[in-house]
Amino acid sequence: MSEPEGRGARPPEPAAADASHPTSGLDDTVHQRHRLGVLTITAEAQRADFGYLRDALGLTPGNLSRHLMVLEEAGLIQVEKGYEGRRPRTWVRITSDGRAALATELSALTELVRRHGRGNGAAGIPPAGAGES
Amino acid sequence: MSTEVPGEQGGVPRESAGSPEPGEVLRELAAVRRRTRSARHAYWFPLVLFGVLTCAAAPLYVSAATPPAGANAVMGGAAVVGGAPTVLGGMPAGGSGFYLGWYWLVALVGGYLLTLFWYRWHARRIGVETPARGYIATGVVLTVLVVLLPLLSHFVPFLGWLWPGDLWIRGTFAFLIIAAGLWILARAERSVALAITAAVYTGAAVLVSLYNVENLLFRMGWNPSPGNWSLTVLPGILLPAVVLLVAGLAAFVAQRRIRSA
Repeated sequence: MSEPEGRGARPPEPAAADASHPTSGLDDTVHQRHRLGVLTITAEAQRADFGYLRDALGLTPGNLSRHLMVLEEAGLIQVEKGYEGRRPRTWVRITSDGRAALATELSALTELVRRHGRGNGAAGIPPAGAGES
Repeated sequence: MSTEVPGEQGGVPRESAGSPEPGEVLRELAAVRRRTRSARHAYWFPLVLFGVLTCAAAPLYVSAATPPAGANAVMGGAAVVGGAPTVLGGMPAGGSGFYLGWYWLVALVGGYLLTLFWYRWHARRIGVETPARGYIATGVVLTVLVVLLPLLSHFVPFLGWLWPGDLWIRGTFAFLIIAAGLWILARAERSVALAITAAVYTGAAVLVSLYNVENLLFRMGWNPSPGNWSLTVLPGILLPAVVLLVAGLAAFVAQRRIRSA
């Protein structure tokens, strides 16, 4: 696994680097695409069930648990464990920090598309929260 | 972009040797968001529920519009101040809106509670929950305020300016409470279709609250016999109900079709 864990894992940028480049807005904790998926789904709902996240993202329970742990430790989600009858049930809720981090990430990705992806069909991608049906 | 976690499959595609394009990631996320939104949409139920509750109130409107035999019509609103939900009952032409007021108090509070249970049940079944508390709270708080307003303004005359003008006299103020809730629900559901429904319904609710829509039918040739005159209140009641029922059934079909696709 090559992905760095935690929010501070990104190597420091060279002093001469362009701080305004969209990649400076990318956060490794959020940027991992499945964690991005978790944040996107939980931002769309008041809370999402573990089983729904697992099916929607096509993850195994173990992998999803690991991603949830990373996001929870970063304060981007809250995990609520409880029971429905005798059946354990886990709900995931995004925090305000999580919403902010998701918005920043999507802005950075959109800006990257705008800078480098003109004319490749990526235009018109709705920002977070848009695309009402 | 990071590499994949072993064992991943399905929904979000595996990453290939290289990092995916940001545009591809954004498209995937937009698709995930759309699917989640479709899965949690459940607003057909409150639309149908309040449509049915409105239809169920029709006999009470007819009854309230029927003058009591051998008696002069009593201005119901003035007669029941402090004794019944006056604003919800209105001042029907024929008599008292006493039962109408109580009906709407029970129907609104009960309807919002049923909707709360519906959304909880739907969330448990589907796995994603719509933030519907604002909708429920808006409906219940408005209902309670409207019920308490006559009593409070009786003791605190200053509150009289809160009276909703002529909007309540036809006993249709409940429609406006339902309309206010629909706007909140449209935002919670993030649904343009529901926002359009809320706009149409609000228009219908304001229209029937301020205007006798039966006049339109009279101009089209409807001429009920004097014995059936109380039935003339029905168009004003059924118009908002039809908006809710048609929109609710259309939403039910659409949501069912999306989920089975």
